Amino acid sequence: MTQSPIITPQAAIRVRGLSKFFGPIDEGAIARTGPEFGTARDPLSGSIVAAWDVNFDVAAGEALGIVGESGSGKSTVLRCIAGDQPSSAGSVHLMCHDEGRTNVLDLSPAARRKLRIDQLSVVYQDPAEGLSLGVTAGGNIADPLTAAGWRNFEAIRVRARDLLDRTEVPLDRMDDIVRNFSGGMRQRVQIARALANNPPIVLLDEPTTGLDASIASGVLDLIRGLLEELDLAVVVVSHDFAVIEMLTQRCIVMQHGRVVEDALTDQLLEDPQHPYSQKLVTAARS
Amino acid sequence: MNSPLINVCDISKTFVLHNIDGREVTALQNVSFSIAPGEHVALAGSSGAGKSTLLRLLYRTYTLTSGEINFRLSSGEWVDIGKLTDPEVVALRGREIGYVSQFLRAQPRRSVIDLVTRAGVSRGMSRNDAREHAAISLRRLNIAESLWEIHTSVLSGGEKQRVNIAAGLISPPRLLLLDEPVSALDPENRERAIDLISQLSEAGVAVLAVFHDLDAIARLATRIVVMSHGHLIDDGPAQSILPQLQPTDVHS
Repeated sequence: MTQSPIITPQAAIRVRGLSKFFGPIDEGAIARTGPEFGTARDPLSGSIVAAWDVNFDVAAGEALGIVGESGSGKSTVLRCIAGDQPSSAGSVHLMCHDEGRTNVLDLSPAARRKLRIDQLSVVYQDPAEGLSLGVTAGGNIADPLTAAGWRNFEAIRVRARDLLDRTEVPLDRMDDIVRNFSGGMRQRVQIARALANNPPIVLLDEPTTGLDASIASGVLDLIRGLLEELDLAVVVVSHDFAVIEMLTQRCIVMQHGRVVEDALTDQLLEDPQHPYSQKLVTAARS
Repeated sequence: MNSPLINVCDISKTFVLHNIDGREVTALQNVSFSIAPGEHVALAGSSGAGKSTLLRLLYRTYTLTSGEINFRLSSGEWVDIGKLTDPEVVALRGREIGYVSQFLRAQPRRSVIDLVTRAGVSRGMSRNDAREHAAISLRRLNIAESLWEIHTSVLSGGEKQRVNIAAGLISPPRLLLLDEPVSALDPENRERAIDLISQLSEAGVAVLAVFHDLDAIARLATRIVVMSHGHLIDDGPAQSILPQLQPTDVHS
């Protein structure tokens, strides 16, 4: 292949052939599932092809969206990359880990957990997944810092204060238990915690879903500002095109476990190609 | 004439509406033209003629159905915009091709001066330079200094449009696509915006523009391309085409 005359930034995350099955899968099961069949579930074996052959690159300073309805496989993809779920096939290479030479899906569970300390963070839709609700905001941030080897109490406090300030959590709430926080505030603490050790990669799973519209737009603003300032490589999963439009320049569309379209975000919104993408965009716009 | 910056060869665009019985709508058919650096090409034609479709195809907001859009990079190499990968388009959009729409895209909680400065930085200016140029453009566009530090979301429609022009024109890319950039402006501010846009040609920027009035075309265009029902029906120097145009030829 000839070299492109346009220089594109190097991938910080490279995902190839990522797949996730529930139950035994053979080639027939792949052939009997997907958009053409209207299901991810193989009618013969009952096994589920939750994600099949997902490919994408994301560079530093770039956000890629994964859109689709519930059950399309978009969160599965995110969780396989994060290591929350074992994947069934494929590879994920992170530039920040072994300069991208290792397929992190092959790492031991312990080594994968270690990536989550300072290489790759996840912000979940439900703050209870990313936070310890019975612990203070400051304590939640101290947790990844101590995991990364921070020992000085005062330094940890300073860092926690800085992060809460940055994510616009009132500093006088730092020593309050997170369970007593509002939904929007919990989400801000979760973002602060995710950024504690300056990870180059952040995965966002429906980060504003479930929040009131006005609160969601504030959190979205915050995320967008952080993306620009911190040069993060971001993957954002959302069924909400307003979120995708505001945060991403490129996206993939998933349906029944398959990628049916990859596109520039403005192109997806203005000129969607796949029937399913057209349906999604029309529904979002009406 | 200068050698072209962009060569549009026989392009067509058909939308396939899968969820309306696979209906096909052809918006553009067999259009060819080119633009050289420093040329300001205005698109004329009545509503639905395909003017905005053409702008969007060049920016790759629409995918091409057939034909080629060959663009000369600053390195001198040619690429076909229709065949680039998405990440390549993202890279191209940064410094080589810009799009100024009628509306300021929502960027809540960003101050006016910050928005314009960032646009300059994203096209390779230093922060200080960008800030300085942002201030100059905002002054020229009559945006009061008292508004510079407030969020763009609270500006009036006309103010937003002028901020959008300032952001779009700072450290301009080599090809600029303008989609009714002065539609919401009162006469005085429109004058100022047109002045600023006219400088693009002197700076060697290639411009392809859609305006909602003949006066803007008369003031800015060096060449006019006339569209009708998705076809290019005329292409020539502004002074020879302008007398034939009707006011209805510019309504989008």
